[in-house]
Amino acid sequence: MTVCARMRRDLGLALLLLLSAAVESDGMSPPGKPVFLGCRSPEKETFTCWWEPGSGGGLPTTHRLYYEREKLEGTHECPDYHSAGKNSCFFDKDHTSIWVDYYLTVVASNALGNATSGHFKMDVMEIVKPNAPENVTLQVMKREDNPYLHVRWEHPHNTDTKSGWVTIKYELRVKHRNNNEWKEYTSGTQTQFNLYNINPGEMYVVQVRCRLDHGSWSEWSNSTSVKTFNYPQNDKPFWILVSALSTVPFLTAMCILVIKRKYVKKVLLPPVPGPKIRGIDVQLLKRGRSEDVSNALIINQGFPSVPAWKDEIEDYLIVSDDVLLPDPHRKKKSLTVAAGFHLNLEIQCKESLGQRDWEKAEERKNGIDTFPPQLPTQKQLCPNVTFVHAEATDQRWPIHDAAAESTVQLLAPTGYVDIQRHKSMQEEADGNEMDYTRVNDGNILILQKDKFPGCMDVQRQEENIPEDYSRVKEVDGDNKVLLQRQSFSADSSCGEKGTPYTDCTNKKPINPHVPGPSKVELIGSGYVDTIY
Amino acid sequence: MEPWNEIARKTLKEGDGSQKIQRRQTLGGGVVRGGIVQRCPHQRPARPSLAALGQNALPQHHTRPGTGRVMTPRPSMCHTSSLQTPSDKAQALQISGSDLLSLARSLLQAWVDPLVVLSDSAYTLPHPAHNSISNKIQELQEHSKILGDGLDVLSSKMGPEAQTLSLLPYTGNDIGQDRISKLINFHFLMSCFRRDSHKIDSFLKVLRCRAAKMQPEMC
Repeated sequence: MTVCARMRRDLGLALLLLLSAAVESDGMSPPGKPVFLGCRSPEKETFTCWWEPGSGGGLPTTHRLYYEREKLEGTHECPDYHSAGKNSCFFDKDHTSIWVDYYLTVVASNALGNATSGHFKMDVMEIVKPNAPENVTLQVMKREDNPYLHVRWEHPHNTDTKSGWVTIKYELRVKHRNNNEWKEYTSGTQTQFNLYNINPGEMYVVQVRCRLDHGSWSEWSNSTSVKTFNYPQNDKPFWILVSALSTVPFLTAMCILVIKRKYVKKVLLPPVPGPKIRGIDVQLLKRGRSEDVSNALIINQGFPSVPAWKDEIEDYLIVSDDVLLPDPHRKKKSLTVAAGFHLNLEIQCKESLGQRDWEKAEERKNGIDTFPPQLPTQKQLCPNVTFVHAEATDQRWPIHDAAAESTVQLLAPTGYVDIQRHKSMQEEADGNEMDYTRVNDGNILILQKDKFPGCMDVQRQEENIPEDYSRVKEVDGDNKVLLQRQSFSADSSCGEKGTPYTDCTNKKPINPHVPGPSKVELIGSGYVDTIY
Repeated sequence: MEPWNEIARKTLKEGDGSQKIQRRQTLGGGVVRGGIVQRCPHQRPARPSLAALGQNALPQHHTRPGTGRVMTPRPSMCHTSSLQTPSDKAQALQISGSDLLSLARSLLQAWVDPLVVLSDSAYTLPHPAHNSISNKIQELQEHSKILGDGLDVLSSKMGPEAQTLSLLPYTGNDIGQDRISKLINFHFLMSCFRRDSHKIDSFLKVLRCRAAKMQPEMC
């Protein structure tokens, strides 16, 4: 070759090089080779693949994806370039098959040329990765002293959980707001979870993720956080309220108690009646004048000498069980008493008494026939009632009507039975005097109204007549009549009529005004003791 | 087998990553329980993670962008590829329960022999982790046996249709002589096994969900 020819060839080459350099310096070139980024199937029914374009080449470049598939003839192009965004290919359900290999390639082409990526082999079963779980909610559940966090979420909306084609499993992680350490828990297929080891007053952050069968885990869901309560502080206002509310009724109760202390005292500590001795004036005692004291202590109103009493014949008071019901129409004077012990008292109304009084007694008596099984109630007794001393049970009282029967059986020797002064009788017996009389043969003691000045007055003032009585409870033995215990009125100060102590009654007959020769004879010791 | 050698050289050049068998120990969510036979016949046995075991034993294919064409034996050459199985959700849901069970049992039965071969050759596998690979293979064998027994019991209760088995014999008795072909063949068999175990897993899960209509947590 001549030198000229060689030089021409070299020149051509140089020019070509320059030209190519010039062209490249303008940015025009065939496209660079695209690169596969990866593929993903979120639910094992469709999948998407992404690639990265190579260097641009300066010219508008188009990318095309081609694929071949096992058990499928030929090469096919991507069915959908747009649904999944730029540089992607979306395979819908009709184009997705599983357990078969796909061979994918992307070809980038521009005016100057093509560039092909390498084959990318994939099987759908390998690229399964679901979306993150949705709607993660977090709640603090109060359970007395053991609060806990309740986490709830939903499966990603595009996964099918009903057919068994995929099985979702969940995982969650928790941390304190300020901490960086996550604690992970597995939830299995449940879409809720309870966290029990939480501290009050803390802010907790929770995230959840899931995976299908044995595929890849999804991304963590967005953080959901909640703050737990501060329990000690929460309790405080509650307790303050409780204590405030409870003090008000408490104070009210205390005030009421203080105001009504007298009443309370009365209720709690009922006044015990002190012993009352008739004829004793407490005030007198308190004043302490010796004269008065001795006067008060000694009941000297018509107190006969004792020996004189003893001379008398002993009388008996016989008490029988027979109950003879008085005939209300027959002016019966007997009053029957008590089961087991009937004390029949015969009302003796002396003829010496005024008819008026007798009638009154009668009326009163007729109204009441029988006693309840108790000791004789006092109001049924005619004020004229006396002890009846009779020796014989069937003795008739000469002073009674023929129809009247003596039902009084007297037991040997007994003392006296208390005489009750009837209240109403008393009121009208104003000025009348009660008196004891004695019938000779029958040893009947007749109580007449007589004047007991001091006593009468006192008794008229007496309000609670029944309290002056002792009821005969039982006749015990020869010399004893057991009286029923009574409550004694503090105001009773009369020592003569209707005293609680029968010894007082014994003194009644000791009335200097008593007419008649006979006197009531005291038994034995002189009086019947009330036995407590 | 010239292309095979080509492939082997290439794969070896890419580094050990693609040939290494990952040995993640996780067995996934399902564990084959020994007591399958004692379970209520309406309850499906817990899914073994045969698929997981298989998956973890093999590298991911798609992690090598731009490495050129990797020509491994095509999966259509698996010895079980002749079995007609559904290829998407719609087809799978149309198959009857008996057929699903039959498919699962056929696949399981088809892998009894190949697993023996794999187990034998794992000891001599020219790979640094051949011991753990060998352990894994033995685990796979045990789990397959247990699952197979359980499915046999289930099929006997489901009727004659479930009893049909497709025979899928494995003819290869050797995975190769030289190092490269051993590795490639081993890898190929494992990938076939992974796919089939994934199929069994899916079929049985669909069956379980169908059987437990009143218990959505079974799906």
